[in-house]
Amino acid sequence: MMRMRQLGLSVMVGALLFAAPADAQRSAPLPWQEDPYPSRYQAPVASDMLLRGATILDGAGGRIDGGDVLVRGGKVAAVGKRLANPGVPEVDATGRWITPGVIDVHSHDGTYVLPLTEIDREASDVAEVATPNSADTWIETAVNAQDMAFDRALASGVTTLQILPGSTPIFAGHSVVVKPVRAPTVWGMKAAGGVQGFKMACGENPKSWGADDDNEGPTSRQGVIAYMRQQFADAQRYKRAVEQARAGAGAMPPRDFKLETLAGILAGDVRVNLHCYRAGDIAASLGVAKEFGFRIGAIHHATEAYKIPGLLREAGTCAAVWADWWGFKVEAQDAIRAEAPLLEQAGVCVMMHSDSPADGQRLNIAAAKAAAAGRRIGVDIPPERMIKWTTGNPAKLLGLDKQVGTIAPGLQADLVVWSGDPFSIYTHADLVLIGGAVAWDRAKPPAGPVSDFELGRGGVRP
Amino acid sequence: MKTLASLIALAIAMPAAAQTLAVTHAEAWTMEGDAPVKDATIVIENGRIVSVAAGGVAPADARVIDARGKPVTPGLVNGATQIGLVEIAGSSDTVDTSSADDRNPGYDVSRALNGNSTLVSLARADGLTRALVYPSPSRRAPFNGEPAFARLRDGVDILDVANVGVYTVIGGGAWDRIGSRAAQWDSLRNALTEAKRKADGPPAAEGKKDRKRPSPPPHGGPGGRHGGEELLAAVLRGEVPLAIQTHRESDIRQAASLAADFGIRVIIVGGAEAWRVADQLAAAKVAVIVDPQVNLPFNFDQLGARQDNAALLAKAGVMVAVGQAGGVIHTNYNAGMGLREGAGIAVANGLPYAEALKAVTVNPLAIWGRGGGTLTPGADADLVIWDGDPLEPSTNALSVIVEGRETAIRSRQDQLAERYREVR
Repeated sequence: MMRMRQLGLSVMVGALLFAAPADAQRSAPLPWQEDPYPSRYQAPVASDMLLRGATILDGAGGRIDGGDVLVRGGKVAAVGKRLANPGVPEVDATGRWITPGVIDVHSHDGTYVLPLTEIDREASDVAEVATPNSADTWIETAVNAQDMAFDRALASGVTTLQILPGSTPIFAGHSVVVKPVRAPTVWGMKAAGGVQGFKMACGENPKSWGADDDNEGPTSRQGVIAYMRQQFADAQRYKRAVEQARAGAGAMPPRDFKLETLAGILAGDVRVNLHCYRAGDIAASLGVAKEFGFRIGAIHHATEAYKIPGLLREAGTCAAVWADWWGFKVEAQDAIRAEAPLLEQAGVCVMMHSDSPADGQRLNIAAAKAAAAGRRIGVDIPPERMIKWTTGNPAKLLGLDKQVGTIAPGLQADLVVWSGDPFSIYTHADLVLIGGAVAWDRAKPPAGPVSDFELGRGGVRP
Repeated sequence: MKTLASLIALAIAMPAAAQTLAVTHAEAWTMEGDAPVKDATIVIENGRIVSVAAGGVAPADARVIDARGKPVTPGLVNGATQIGLVEIAGSSDTVDTSSADDRNPGYDVSRALNGNSTLVSLARADGLTRALVYPSPSRRAPFNGEPAFARLRDGVDILDVANVGVYTVIGGGAWDRIGSRAAQWDSLRNALTEAKRKADGPPAAEGKKDRKRPSPPPHGGPGGRHGGEELLAAVLRGEVPLAIQTHRESDIRQAASLAADFGIRVIIVGGAEAWRVADQLAAAKVAVIVDPQVNLPFNFDQLGARQDNAALLAKAGVMVAVGQAGGVIHTNYNAGMGLREGAGIAVANGLPYAEALKAVTVNPLAIWGRGGGTLTPGADADLVIWDGDPLEPSTNALSVIVEGRETAIRSRQDQLAERYREVR
């Protein structure tokens, strides 16, 4: 059984407060720390190699021109100039660029599966919308591992994706983090060791759903925020009861998967990814988090975060943004392309996200568009900082920054060798390594379709 | 951004009423040949290009813009958008893309065009100067209505030319209206046959018979100038094209056959699987307006979607334009940036660079039967000065000239960004 948290920090705190009677109980995970769907990901066999002579953007703000990366045993062994070769094959990366693998923290791959059909329009798996509180759902129980979007993502340099439920419910459910590798089920793709993610939503989507006849749920922005507060107040009571029972005071309350999950948010074991557009909605939601003592991991979409960078910075909350989605709904009217450079300049943790299997293949191009818009108003962010928006910062949000997202000795070798500047439209991902294994090699593409879906269908291949 | 600011300041300092404009030190992509003219001077008078010459001298009375060696291209043209018809896609009271009037097969989008839309100023800031604006499926099968060309000049009036063709949709998106695509093709062929019979003039005996039959549904909605029927006759005379938005190989083959059977000009819009029919399309002179970004099928009509679609079509001799760039959300909201990104992706997947530039300038006009999209003497003075390669999304337009006039390229987004630039 995989634990969501390696350290079990909150368990230790609980032990101090409640003086747990037995070691066994003290070490047992709390209900919200358990993962009912453990990963069955098998790390592929890694290839040792020395990548020579590339422009390296390390994902932490550093840049090395004419640099080398030594990959051994699935990890980065060394990075620098003119590294000694301990006897591994060399790859000439002269004229090419190396970055960490791209991380997309907002994907619906596997649930918004193309091609769409009538049944998807009638009853989609993107989110469970029977109630505004779907906190008990786990999106991985819906993911179709045969979605060919995973193959497109990999071939474009993506090595990690967070699949989130959709934004119709206020409490939309647990996310899952995957590697875009072929496996019969999502659990063969599931990345272990990060912080359990969770999706919430505010604004137009949940209130529009509530306003439809026959649907349960609030019909206004104020109703959505009030609903959040009531659920968290209920979760506070539940969490206290569980902790007291664990300490030997009182009976364990019956399992309630929704309250358990929200208690996990309050405990800091479950990290919130909040879909929110307007500055006012973001501020109100940050207020709820402050009131109930938890930190929101990131505001997703966050189209008006540039108006309130201080609030995000003080809350330690990141912004996961698009470059150029705007205007398509009322609350997206004030979205600007320059958002990421403005937030970067204001010291907010910012990252690009896709929400789309198409744009998810070009997150670095999204960063390029955002940076260009920044230059239009005199804010110039260099490539070594731009790359954090698609690698280092998303790794932190997922709690995977000790494993991936930057190029440093000891970290997993999730790397991309690009044919050129990763922010150019003409650049391809030449080589994609996941855990030091070659997951994509543009010089040796698969002979036929990779996904089961494409196999044997007329019209797909020449 | 210093470059853009100083350039704008320079422009403002010049006399506003000048009739003659000269762009100097340009890397001018004239669209004649596959290479630019270096250090070109482009002279513009009364909305038209007078001359493009390497090392040319600007006329003494000209207002001069120094391009400082940067690329200058014709204004970009998006081959398929709904810009000017949409403000907030999620709010139907701000959307004018389709007619719900059963009596209006000739729905004329030009009457709804809105140059004050925020979508227009952003697209212009991204170097778009013209766009084909098409109608969404109407309730009147098989026709959607009549597209128009928009000219993204300053101000509310962005109509360039109305009624430039007839627009229809075949395949998945049209099922709700008349069911199977067999019925859709049948309906389209019947409408063309009927229009042809009327245009040829019925024999006297048949004319009598006609009078006994129930009168056909009235064509032309309230105020509709062409009323559909008139423009359909123009399609049959080969004066304007019939645009068919469709994706599946079987439908594209049907479209090529239709073009041959009726001797009409057909444009495929979308054409995700058009690369499989490339030779037949080239032989039938059917042009394709593609979205080069698509490599995942939105529906079962598009299973063969590939990013080298444009490259394969062009190689086979099919005229290709870029449009509908970026799929659903970007079709309208980033009609300029999406177009450039799409063309860049086409180049990354094998389309020669000069061909890609043509696919966003000359071709989208030629496909709809129009000239222009070049930097040549006598051409419309629509041009863009860029701070880098126009097909790179990281490039900014420094100056956008429409009909010989510099336009405002500070979009609402630029203004919001400037307003909050110092907020910490």
